[in-house]
Amino acid sequence: MPEASTLPKPYHVEEFLSPATLDCADATITEIFSMMFGFDTEVVNTASPCMPSPERGERTAIVGFSGAMRGSCQISMTSQAARSIASAMLGGAPIEEGDESINDALGELCNMLAGGWKNGVPGLSSECALSPPTVISGRDYKVHMSKPSVKVSRIYQFDVHALYLTLCCEDVEALPLG
Amino acid sequence: MQGTVLVVDDSAMMRKVVLRILKMADVEFEAALEAGDGNEALVLLRVNKVALIMCDINMPGMSGLQLLQQIKEEKLAVGVPIVMVTTENSEPQVRQAILAGARGYIRKPFTVDHIRNNVKPLLAV
Repeated sequence: MPEASTLPKPYHVEEFLSPATLDCADATITEIFSMMFGFDTEVVNTASPCMPSPERGERTAIVGFSGAMRGSCQISMTSQAARSIASAMLGGAPIEEGDESINDALGELCNMLAGGWKNGVPGLSSECALSPPTVISGRDYKVHMSKPSVKVSRIYQFDVHALYLTLCCEDVEALPLG
Repeated sequence: MQGTVLVVDDSAMMRKVVLRILKMADVEFEAALEAGDGNEALVLLRVNKVALIMCDINMPGMSGLQLLQQIKEEKLAVGVPIVMVTTENSEPQVRQAILAGARGYIRKPFTVDHIRNNVKPLLAV
């Protein structure tokens, strides 16, 4: 049985709903896009917490959080935007539509974003683990959580494309759903 | 630069990115090997001599930290610099990697300068 002191301090929904959550996401997006892809980014919609999911793109990548915080980081964009990301990662090399590296690039972007975000949140850096990324094609899907959760969303523009970001946090003190 | 570089990452895209950025940072090798996880890396290390290992931490199968332990146990790649390339940068994880044998640590996202400043000096030793 693990000692109580080794358990991570739970990260609460109230902390997640503070402005710092999206501030940290903004900083992480700016850093990744400028360093890895050479794109400037701009927030095009400052969504309020608990709003419905933004419009979905054709491709979505999801990375799960576990440990002090349970939840997910989701990014979504059009196939053309994802192709643009993949090409930028390879220094502008042309990428054919349908190339598997497009999904790979989107997954890596989501992984860097989830990692960068949690590294920037006090108390989460060493207490929260990331799952490998999952990439979904298509818009008709649902993400089910085991407990009630809250989410914050934001839309960013890079080049001529949009990136839809949703960060989701389970309420650790809530009863399981159902 | 003489020798072979081994890049270990479950993302084929990220392996390509690491190799591209190494080249841009003037860290060029005669040959490059790629592995999708720690197990694949071990198979390659048992039959190949390498001069540098660039390794992700979070990978399905055998993780980067488990790979470091196994390299130590099997006495593979003795004296070869191993640089962890990862989104994780918590202090305990960095310490764990260094204790397990990593010589450098680069956080994703990274630039050519990060590679130049953190990898080149290891090769000069």
